Amino acid sequence: MSVFLQQLINGLSLGSIYALMAVGYSLVYSILNFSNFAHGSVIMLGAYFGFFAMTLLPLPFVGALVIAALGCGIVAIIVERVAYKPLRKRNAPGLYFIIAAMGGSIFLENLVIATIGPTFKTYPEIFKSTAFTIGSVSINKLDLIMFLIASVSLLILVFILEKTKIGLAIRASSYSSRGATLMGVNVDRVVLVIFLIGGVLAGLAGMMFGIRFTVYPTIGVITNKSFIAAVFGGLGSLPGAVIGSVILGLVETFAAGYVASNWRDFIAFALLIFVLVIKPSGLMGKITEDKA
Amino acid sequence: MLKVRDLNVFYGGIHALRGIDITVRKGEIVTIIGSNGAGKSSMLNAISGVVKYQGLIEYEGKPLPTQAHSVVKQGICQVPEGRVIFANLTVHENLKMGAYLRNDAKGIAADFERVYELFPRLKEREKQIAGTLSGGEQQMLAMGRGLMSSPELILLDEPSLGLAPLLINTIFEIIKEIKAMGKTLLLVEQNAFKALSVADYAYVLEQGVISAEGKASDLAKDPKIQEAYLGKK
Repeated sequence: MSVFLQQLINGLSLGSIYALMAVGYSLVYSILNFSNFAHGSVIMLGAYFGFFAMTLLPLPFVGALVIAALGCGIVAIIVERVAYKPLRKRNAPGLYFIIAAMGGSIFLENLVIATIGPTFKTYPEIFKSTAFTIGSVSINKLDLIMFLIASVSLLILVFILEKTKIGLAIRASSYSSRGATLMGVNVDRVVLVIFLIGGVLAGLAGMMFGIRFTVYPTIGVITNKSFIAAVFGGLGSLPGAVIGSVILGLVETFAAGYVASNWRDFIAFALLIFVLVIKPSGLMGKITEDKA
Repeated sequence: MLKVRDLNVFYGGIHALRGIDITVRKGEIVTIIGSNGAGKSSMLNAISGVVKYQGLIEYEGKPLPTQAHSVVKQGICQVPEGRVIFANLTVHENLKMGAYLRNDAKGIAADFERVYELFPRLKEREKQIAGTLSGGEQQMLAMGRGLMSSPELILLDEPSLGLAPLLINTIFEIIKEIKAMGKTLLLVEQNAFKALSVADYAYVLEQGVISAEGKASDLAKDPKIQEAYLGKK
């Protein structure tokens, strides 16, 4: 039983970080209808921003988290303006966006390899005593903090989407950007805001991911799992992205805990394929008009 | 109020609108009739700034901006063909989207009242997700949403499309009421009979050119128009 609870907590913590990442994929997809594969590299940069803020400046955990969030927000906006906006202006087909995204991703990774180097970096110790126990379950403080930060961030996102004017415009644009334009929405600005939101969440997730594991230039390969979680939950649907991420986190930790850790990804991806075969639009996928 | 001179629209190699001239006077309903593919929607979309064009569009004596969101700011709103309501939002939120550029809370509240008065059905379904509405209700929502921007000029694209005859009558009654509110309307319709019955002035668009124009009541009597668009021999 205690193993079960232990894995449940680990899984929720990991899943909540995936959720922060997956939401970024889903937001962009819901409005621009393409999968922003450069997102993984922005997450990677978040891990580096946080790392250098803590080791070079040095800032405490919270300060570094803010630097990572803001830094990634800015990078995400730059990627949008440089790589995607020119394509949007020309009404380029979805495939071009995906190629631009992959190009952006490779560029950012190699920029880090060339400037910082390919070596693994480890965050300094953040908390003296890392775990506390409740009954027979030991809870890693870091896991708890990650889960809380992720949950609060997602709640703020829901508030923005449901209660603010720009949130309403984002939701309207996700259904029809033509309709939103005709209502006087500057869709260009909406796109900027979703990249900013996605970037900020990527910064938080990237730093926490870096703390939990290590920091290296191709970390984006692992963070791409959150894309899979977004597909699994239904691309374009935010609740879907969160639920898909939590399920992925749980499946991974339970597979690692009860089967063997090298079966972890195998089982997670098998589940993904299984869900997509049965329900191609994902668990909560929206009915799509013409998606690329 | 609105002056369109030598308007040309190209889609790739296709010359969809060829040198269109139209004029809309304040307080009037002006209609553009014509068959499918004549370029009626292209014209409204050019005015709204959602398709690129060559030529001059003047509004209140000044050239109209070409960015769609700036056009709405000028007091021109389009109620698009096929309604294009936000099916994922509630009826209330859809109307709120119509008032997106406005900041006058009092004026918005007053317009909510007016729209709900004009379309009591929308009031009943205020909290409902718009995608669950019937076609007629969606058309009402699209028109209500347009009114929420407090426009001076409303571009109305095929409001009768896909509606039952009884509902079409209702929609055209409402169009007259909107005119009575002091709004100016540019109405694009395939249903020429209905359109000519409410309009003050009319243009006939054929394959990208204006082939006839005149008072709506005169055009309705024109034998050629009757044969081509009103189904009379």
